[in-house]
Amino acid sequence: MITSKSAVQTKIGAFKYFDPSLLSGGGRLFALILICVIMSMLSPVFFSARNLSNIITNACIMTILGVGLTITIITCGPDLSVGSILTITSVIAAIMLKAGIFFGWAILAALALGILLGLLNGLMISKIGIPSFISTYGLQWAVFGFAYVILKGYVVYDFDPAFRFVGNGYLFDVIPMPIIVMLGVVIVGFIILKKTTLGRTFYAVGANKEAAKMSGINVEKTMIYAFIICGLLSAVGGIVLVARINACQADIGKNYLLPTIATVYMGGTRAAGGQGGVIGTLIGALIMTVVENGMNLMGVPSVWRGAIIGALIIITVLVNQWLNKKLEAAGA
Amino acid sequence: MSNIILRKLKSISPVLWAIMGMVCMFGMISGRYLTLNNLINTLQQGAVLLIISSAMTIVILSEGLDLSLGGVLTVSGITCVLALGAHIPVPIAVVIGILTGALCGAVTGSLIAFCKMPSFIATLGIQGVFYGLALVMTNSQAVFTTNKPFLVLGGKVARYIPMAAVLAGIVFFLVWYVLHHTRFGRYVIAIGGNEAGSRLSGVNTVFWKWMVYVFAGFITGIGGVILASRLEAADPIVGVGWEFDAIAATILGGTSFQKGKGDVSGTIVGVLLITVLRNGLNVIGTPSMLQPALIGTIMIIAIVFQVGISSRK
Repeated sequence: MITSKSAVQTKIGAFKYFDPSLLSGGGRLFALILICVIMSMLSPVFFSARNLSNIITNACIMTILGVGLTITIITCGPDLSVGSILTITSVIAAIMLKAGIFFGWAILAALALGILLGLLNGLMISKIGIPSFISTYGLQWAVFGFAYVILKGYVVYDFDPAFRFVGNGYLFDVIPMPIIVMLGVVIVGFIILKKTTLGRTFYAVGANKEAAKMSGINVEKTMIYAFIICGLLSAVGGIVLVARINACQADIGKNYLLPTIATVYMGGTRAAGGQGGVIGTLIGALIMTVVENGMNLMGVPSVWRGAIIGALIIITVLVNQWLNKKLEAAGA
Repeated sequence: MSNIILRKLKSISPVLWAIMGMVCMFGMISGRYLTLNNLINTLQQGAVLLIISSAMTIVILSEGLDLSLGGVLTVSGITCVLALGAHIPVPIAVVIGILTGALCGAVTGSLIAFCKMPSFIATLGIQGVFYGLALVMTNSQAVFTTNKPFLVLGGKVARYIPMAAVLAGIVFFLVWYVLHHTRFGRYVIAIGGNEAGSRLSGVNTVFWKWMVYVFAGFITGIGGVILASRLEAADPIVGVGWEFDAIAATILGGTSFQKGKGDVSGTIVGVLLITVLRNGLNVIGTPSMLQPALIGTIMIIAIVFQVGISSRK
């Protein structure tokens, strides 16, 4: 016993100058602030009110999608169809608005479609047994295809002002609506994950599916719930996005998948599931948006964007794995 | 007697039935479908898919997944065409293209085997990197080539024989041989079946797992070069979505993504299904706007059926 204790101490001693927990918890916030400081030194425009509000509204959509993705990753694996569900739901909402239907119905239809597609994902994964990264990856091609069929490559724009309030309105004339929606999603996500039985079963299934089954959790149902929530939130993200940019086209969500995945991992959610949370995802989304914004401000050619985000995902997951190992070693 | 025939008919996989049904349907709808010309076209169109699907089968047999193969396909074609543009002799340019594929696979494999990243996350990130690099290398524009000796690879020999299909057959046989008659092949299946068990019985699982991705990259590199030759150009977005076609072909061919069950020979059937579907929809004149939605839906339904049936057995 004594030897093992001293072994732990030497291990901690080796990390005297760098405490790994710095980067895991509040360290993410620290990293975010650090990146912001660096950005403000590199570009004078960064701290302008216009740019900051731009960053925050962009981060809102990333966070809304990210919360859903966090829940599925905690439970059983990433939902790679978030971008396509965002697309098809916003296309449906846009078409209905243009047909002159009351905006409430359009929003409801979009949310219902999101839930339906989430349910479809959940059923394929839990009942049929197709791994999430294959079934959701496959579904996205079909869904993007349907978005093209519906819009035929046209851009639909200029919607009902009442609908657009969700995206570019201000509550009490001060707080932008996307932030309200985003905060609502984060708070509800937080409460579901940390304070409800459903949330605890998400973690339990993600940590050890067999053990969860043994202890009487309905694993299949839990997975379906996770994907339904993710589908619903993708639809919410789609509505906010369309309301904000006041236009919709069939590839509106094509560039959302990789950054959102990066967001979730930057927030510290474990790639293998069972660990993570939505507060981390919120910070991750802010980091991701600041990085994207920084690339724009510094004039990084847009062709580099995909390569940089892909590399970011890999680096983030590697750092997370390394941190987890160190934390486990220090805590053992 | 009729019993035997009935049993024989029942033993044919549902995927084969689906292919036969589709061929009959397309043949009835369009007079141009059941012609020699279209048969040659189908073979040519299926060639590259067969190559990338056999690579994917090896990866899935090892209980992994490689979502970056579409990116590898693109990048290897681009390096090959760029090398040709720099007046490098054709054989060397082809080798450069193929080795680029292997190099891409080596990078992916390092992340999965040495850094122990889950394969679908590593390859999803790498997919972004490869597609991004493809855009950077070509500056978002297709690079054309008119090099006659190079175009032979994707063209027709003696007016009828599609060279791509012949090469795909050779590559397929190579993969089959490697899987069934080499140490590497046995280790792939062992790792897929029980990784911890194979490690305990002395297999260097880390190295062989790395080799799986290198080999898959190498094979896909061949596919990339052939595709570039067939299209007479290297297009930075040509590979998008191929990885899902390859996954679908592998699963429809009966390979299970758990426990290393399956075989590369089944993948041929999966490739055939997807190729017949794509080609047939074109020939009968389905609007191109409709095709992605139709094909995506059919493939998802097919996978659901295939996995549902095989898990029930």
